[in-house]
Amino acid sequence: MSNAREKKRAKKMRNQPASVTLSSDCGPCPSGIQHHNGGSRSFQTPKQDLHPDSSQEFQQQRHQHQSPGPSYRKEQYFSKGQGRGRGGWRGGRQNVSQEMPKYITASTFAQARAAEINAMLKAVTQKSSNSLVFQTLPRHMRRRAMSHNIKRLPRRLREIARKEAEKAVHQKKEHSKNKCRKARRRHVNLVVEFNRRQKKNIWLETHIWHAKRFHMVKKWGYCLGDRPTTKSYRACYRAMTKHCLLQDLSYYCCLELNGKEEELLKVLARMCSIDTGPTFAAVPCLSGRLQGSLVLYRADRYPEDLLGPITFIWKPKDGSGITSETRQLWIWTHPSLKQDILTELKTVFQCSEPVETCSPEPIVTLLQEEKQTDVAMIVGKKRKREDNEGEKAVPVKKIIGDGTRVPLESYCWTSQTTGVVISDLTMEILRYRLIGPLSHCVLTEALKTASIQTEMADAETELNNWWVENCKNSEKVSLHQRQEAIFELLQGINSPSEIAAGTILGLTVGDPRVNLPKKSSKAMPNPEKYQGKEDLHRSWSCAQWKPLSNHTDDPDNEKVRQLLLEGVPVECAHSFIWDQTICKNVTENKIPEQDLNHMRGELLVPGSQLDLGPCESKIPILLVQQPGKVAGEDRPGWGSGWDIYLPKGWGMAFWIPFIYRGARVGGLQEGLKHSEYKRTPHIPNDFPDCPAGIQFAKELENVLLEKFKRRPPAKRANYVKLGTLAPFLCPWGQLTRDWEVRNKAQEESVVTSSADSKSGATERQVPCEPKPGLTIEDSQGDIMEEMAKIQNLCKEDGAATSSGFFVLRNRKLLKQLSARCRPTCGKGQRVRPASKLGQKEMTEDALLSIFKCYPRVLVWVSLSLLRKGSPELHAMICIPTQEDFLQLNKDQLFCGPQEPKHSDIFKHKILKLKERKKKKNNGNALESGASDALEAKAVEEPKELILGLWPDPLPDVTSHCSRILLGFVTQGDFSLAAGCGEALGFVNLTGLLHMLSSQPTDKKGLVLLRTPASLQYRFARLNIEV
Amino acid sequence: RAALRCRYLLCEIVSEDPRCRQCIDERAVGAAAKDAVARTHGDYGLACCSISFTVKYLNAYTGIVLLRCRKDFYRLLWSALPFVTYLENRNQRYSCFFNTLHVGGTIRTCQKFLVQYNRKQLLLLLHNCTSEGKQLLHSYILKGALLHMDFVLCCMMHVFHFS
Repeated sequence: MSNAREKKRAKKMRNQPASVTLSSDCGPCPSGIQHHNGGSRSFQTPKQDLHPDSSQEFQQQRHQHQSPGPSYRKEQYFSKGQGRGRGGWRGGRQNVSQEMPKYITASTFAQARAAEINAMLKAVTQKSSNSLVFQTLPRHMRRRAMSHNIKRLPRRLREIARKEAEKAVHQKKEHSKNKCRKARRRHVNLVVEFNRRQKKNIWLETHIWHAKRFHMVKKWGYCLGDRPTTKSYRACYRAMTKHCLLQDLSYYCCLELNGKEEELLKVLARMCSIDTGPTFAAVPCLSGRLQGSLVLYRADRYPEDLLGPITFIWKPKDGSGITSETRQLWIWTHPSLKQDILTELKTVFQCSEPVETCSPEPIVTLLQEEKQTDVAMIVGKKRKREDNEGEKAVPVKKIIGDGTRVPLESYCWTSQTTGVVISDLTMEILRYRLIGPLSHCVLTEALKTASIQTEMADAETELNNWWVENCKNSEKVSLHQRQEAIFELLQGINSPSEIAAGTILGLTVGDPRVNLPKKSSKAMPNPEKYQGKEDLHRSWSCAQWKPLSNHTDDPDNEKVRQLLLEGVPVECAHSFIWDQTICKNVTENKIPEQDLNHMRGELLVPGSQLDLGPCESKIPILLVQQPGKVAGEDRPGWGSGWDIYLPKGWGMAFWIPFIYRGARVGGLQEGLKHSEYKRTPHIPNDFPDCPAGIQFAKELENVLLEKFKRRPPAKRANYVKLGTLAPFLCPWGQLTRDWEVRNKAQEESVVTSSADSKSGATERQVPCEPKPGLTIEDSQGDIMEEMAKIQNLCKEDGAATSSGFFVLRNRKLLKQLSARCRPTCGKGQRVRPASKLGQKEMTEDALLSIFKCYPRVLVWVSLSLLRKGSPELHAMICIPTQEDFLQLNKDQLFCGPQEPKHSDIFKHKILKLKERKKKKNNGNALESGASDALEAKAVEEPKELILGLWPDPLPDVTSHCSRILLGFVTQGDFSLAAGCGEALGFVNLTGLLHMLSSQPTDKKGLVLLRTPASLQYRFARLNIEV
Repeated sequence: RAALRCRYLLCEIVSEDPRCRQCIDERAVGAAAKDAVARTHGDYGLACCSISFTVKYLNAYTGIVLLRCRKDFYRLLWSALPFVTYLENRNQRYSCFFNTLHVGGTIRTCQKFLVQYNRKQLLLLLHNCTSEGKQLLHSYILKGALLHMDFVLCCMMHVFHFS
């Protein structure tokens, strides 16, 4: 610190003249010294020897009176003079101090003055501060853009400023602008540049649109829009709840499995468990009617080794009745999980052989062919000019799909034994998500179903040939008409949440660019068409999202009701998007925007509707309903919407029409908020037990740590003093381990003392048993089964998984837990049905025994704060003590207890280390035993301590603070949807059960939340939503 | 926080005895000035002047001294400076007096003044000498090309040699 200050001062004083004193040796010395310059130098040398280290001293000497350079030169000059025989003055100079002859006085006098002038001029003219010239000007003399234009500076400073500006130019990296802007912006060159830039990170088709409006981030190998540059946090929330929020989810990866149904199901069953919910074999999903979602595990490793959550769609069967036909399955994964899942799938299915026919190579060659035809067709002026310039001008084509793919690598694998084909369809299918109650309005307004076409538009192009083929088949035409009718009926529903979760509707639509409105407007439902007038002013707030009123006799309304009740029939889920050749055809035969605009310009009545007739492209799409909030009691169906799947190449053609219908666009941040308000885990933030989640947590820690370190130590939170052990990373492993140890210790101490109390508890249960009857026994039996299963698992895994933890995803157990977390008899609430109570008590022992044998389990919980406070990332979830409840009972406005300040035990150590380092640096010359020992100690220190953070081996995390730690928050914010602070996180199951068993019944599920940078605990209610 | 204003007194130590230059150092000059203040203004004056009093710059060869004092009390120091009659260093005492050249608000103005003053002095000196190099030197000094000290000194050597 002081060293830096010294340096700064030395820099500032480097041009200032130092005092010049007559050397003491000079006077008495009779004849040795030639002139005073030399004298001063000889005087300096002993000084230098005295203080070799002090830099300031050195600086002073350097700038003493005359800088060494010139004085040396002077001397040289003088010696030259001597050589020329003009040494007469020298003899006189010797007498200066004694007799001072007159004529010599003049010379010394002049010399001294001249030297002084020199020094002073240096001090006056040369600036010594670190700032630029225009920064040193007083404020009233500053002008705008001074650094840019030196003519705005006062004239006396221009010279210096010019020099500075030159320096700055040198520092700036010179980027090659070998082409003028006009050339760079020319379409061909622009495409080349864009193609070059998307070699490293994949660009979505809406990239350019996003890049103009969003903060872009590079994540998971993609360039994605993080959040809009405009101020739109609330506007996006409003769009989500009241209108429609649009998201480009094309970065999600699609893996296609092709094979016999039994084969697929048999193998996939190993990768998921029925405990976590419906699997691949669930009937509505298998038929292709609904989209399913589940979590994948490594084969036969449930409940550990999570791979990640996925959604999947089965292609509906073509001909019913044939069981052993080949089925097509799409598995949609997050890009961070894709590699793991793909490799696991490949090993499980034993698919290792790359398939040549399926690989995108033919596409590439085809593209190249097309390029050539392209050139042949459009040899325009520009192309010609380029050709003149250089013969090897290669025509460029916009990259559609994955730009990072290596052309020779295969993306399709098959297995010899089972015949299953796995192909990686990343970026082949686009996916947009529309969230909000009016998203179906946006869809129905923007899209128009394709018209039936039996005649080919043009014999030589293959545009729409698949559609013409299709239209010749009357069955398929009728199917298309049914799909169209259902799509029309969508206008009649109030919100997408009314339709069954995951409903799939296949569709073939016309080119959405054709009926683009002139002005952007908000798509609103047309209630008169399908409903009675009394519903006209129905507000769209989420509280009123309820099924249609059914007291009108309108036949259309009838139909809508039927749709809501029965859902979309299976055959309507059929879409041509499953057929890759058709997709390719559609992608390649897209009419370019330019041609479309040209045709628009040639319309007889400007601005009238463009009718392409048979030339209009037909695009197969897939609409999939996304369920909103399903768990929990409040806001059911919040945040539901539609996903739309498109063939690649059509991204912008669909994007702009949606925006013209009033959809607001959100980025990754909005997606995160959506899942937070929906209280669903977000990928990959909330999957701490899968590799992508671990990776994500590590990256987040690095980012936060860097941010923390950038601040000066005095200006950042001292987490040691705040008692926060891990502010940047949730130590799940240690948390579970500590609870295990704690539990064991408790058991040992309790076993002897509470044997009688336990027996009492069992006695209490006895009278309950007969009441609930059969159902209870069933559930008990289930639980016992579960228990047995898990116990078996424990035994199997044994020591191998001793360090691991996993997240509980067993639905039955979670339901039990969820019931136990609720306060049983509040003030307003009456006692719940006896059967439920009995069930709970029945399961208590069972649960406890389960978790005793497998303690390293985390549970996903949602927390809502009772009163004030907004939880943050990595906030701590703690168990309140009895006193806290007492205080809460006494004072309803009681915010929560305070954590006493901890002492920073590392501060001393850090200071010591610093001193030691300094000593080491200073005393390198001194080689003594003591210093050696110190150094040895310093070497022993493994890692550098950071002020305000606990060094790596953390102490017991559970009992570090005054309240016992239960878990951590992974998402937390003030929820605009709920109107209070809400958080999502994980708690340790052992700890949760321990807490629940000791809490009074009306305060069940109350926990304390504390953000990492605060000492204040706040009460929150814990919920487990299944 | 308002900056505390200072005044800088640029003085010249004039002495008959060339040996006096030996004892021009910061301690001696400071002590002499303080002594004079104490004699003329008493303890109060001494205390007032001692606040932030330092010798900022000193050149034994030209006898230039730059003293710093608080703006409120620089008059006390200024009025006391004529009463300095000697400098004492290492038990040697040489009579001299202080000639105040300039009072400035910043070191920078004092330095600028000093440049001008020294130039004037050199010109005065040149007026007295007569030689062929004189005209040359004169023109250079007037042009302010004194930064090329090597060349100037070279010329001066010619001048002095011939004179």
